[in-house]
Amino acid sequence: MLILGITTSTAQVGCAIGGHEGVLGAIHSTRGRRHAETLTPAIEFLCRQTRVELSDIGAIAVDLGPGMFTGLRVGVAAGKALSHARRLPMIGVTSLDLLAFPLRHSPRRIVCAIDAGRGEIFHASYRQSPGGVQRITAPQVASPDDLAFDLQATGDEVLLAGDGALRYEAAFEAVRRVELADRGEAYPLAGSLVQLAHARALREEFVSPAELTPTYLRKPDAEINWTTRDGEGS
Amino acid sequence: MTVVATTRSVDETRDLAAALSSLARAGDVVVLAGDLGAGKTAFVQGFGRGLGVPDRITSPTFTLVHVYEGRLPVHHLDVYRLEQLSEALDLGLPEMLDDGSVVLIEWGDAILPVLPLDFLEVRVTFGPGDDDRFLAFRPVGTAWAPRADALAGVVSPWAAHA
Repeated sequence: MLILGITTSTAQVGCAIGGHEGVLGAIHSTRGRRHAETLTPAIEFLCRQTRVELSDIGAIAVDLGPGMFTGLRVGVAAGKALSHARRLPMIGVTSLDLLAFPLRHSPRRIVCAIDAGRGEIFHASYRQSPGGVQRITAPQVASPDDLAFDLQATGDEVLLAGDGALRYEAAFEAVRRVELADRGEAYPLAGSLVQLAHARALREEFVSPAELTPTYLRKPDAEINWTTRDGEGS
Repeated sequence: MTVVATTRSVDETRDLAAALSSLARAGDVVVLAGDLGAGKTAFVQGFGRGLGVPDRITSPTFTLVHVYEGRLPVHHLDVYRLEQLSEALDLGLPEMLDDGSVVLIEWGDAILPVLPLDFLEVRVTFGPGDDDRFLAFRPVGTAWAPRADALAGVVSPWAAHA
């Protein structure tokens, strides 16, 4: 089964097609945060260059975040639209899992950190497991200093990856036994998404588009206190 | 510290805003508060003109967000029609705050829990005459505090009216 993967949770927008043969093709762009403008033409180009028709695609995989709100919604909406139109099942994967996957050959604790804006990061920890990585802490939002403090406390050998790690590099400089992964590992790759989704597709772990929701982690659900607008304050 | 000014016409409000825009830096947030119809959009029109925005700036009350290109990119928001704080995040507010632009938010005082700790509050209220307006400028947080003197200087021609 061929899977189309869409990842838009960071400054990078990406898509890939793959299946049991591995990744047939992938496109990524980190320029200008033009996710909405880039994604659909990128999918079309990718299909053409890999000589895959949309009708050959058997499932749509999307990066569920946490990450950039606007980007996330572009990717999830596009994935759901394709799923509806082609009646395809979906697979959602956490952005931090995608970051950890290419680092699976490291025996160290892998910590992935995505820039959450407003001086915060989304992060989770992983360790090597047969054929991949296993998440050992739940994705959470924190300040870079809080994460640096936690890593200092555990004393583990750490490989730290993601655009959140690079942006707040200074916060981790003083932490011993922490090495920063390079810029090539800063963003979730669409190829990792296709590979992880393929393993789930084999286990038939699909969801319907209606069931698929992005992970926001930080979404306040409070009502706005409208004393000014409704004149109660005057 | 709050700086107070008075304007006699909507054009004066725009001129004051244009003068104030000279202090704007990438990442700034300007929260526009005050009476309905007092001239929040007019303020943004002047501010945008000061930043060299060539387009006509119109009210985003129904469209929620307008984006303009000037000396700095300008995001002009109006949260008047929102009911939930989460909707402000749905507009992409976190990314706007992070992309080196100036963000001006009409009724922004209603969504303080999702705003950064640093912003300039501009409160526009009705004065005694039909076209008179009071404008109160209040720097909040560390980003605006060092600019407090410059702010008072820029606003001084209109402060003299009071």
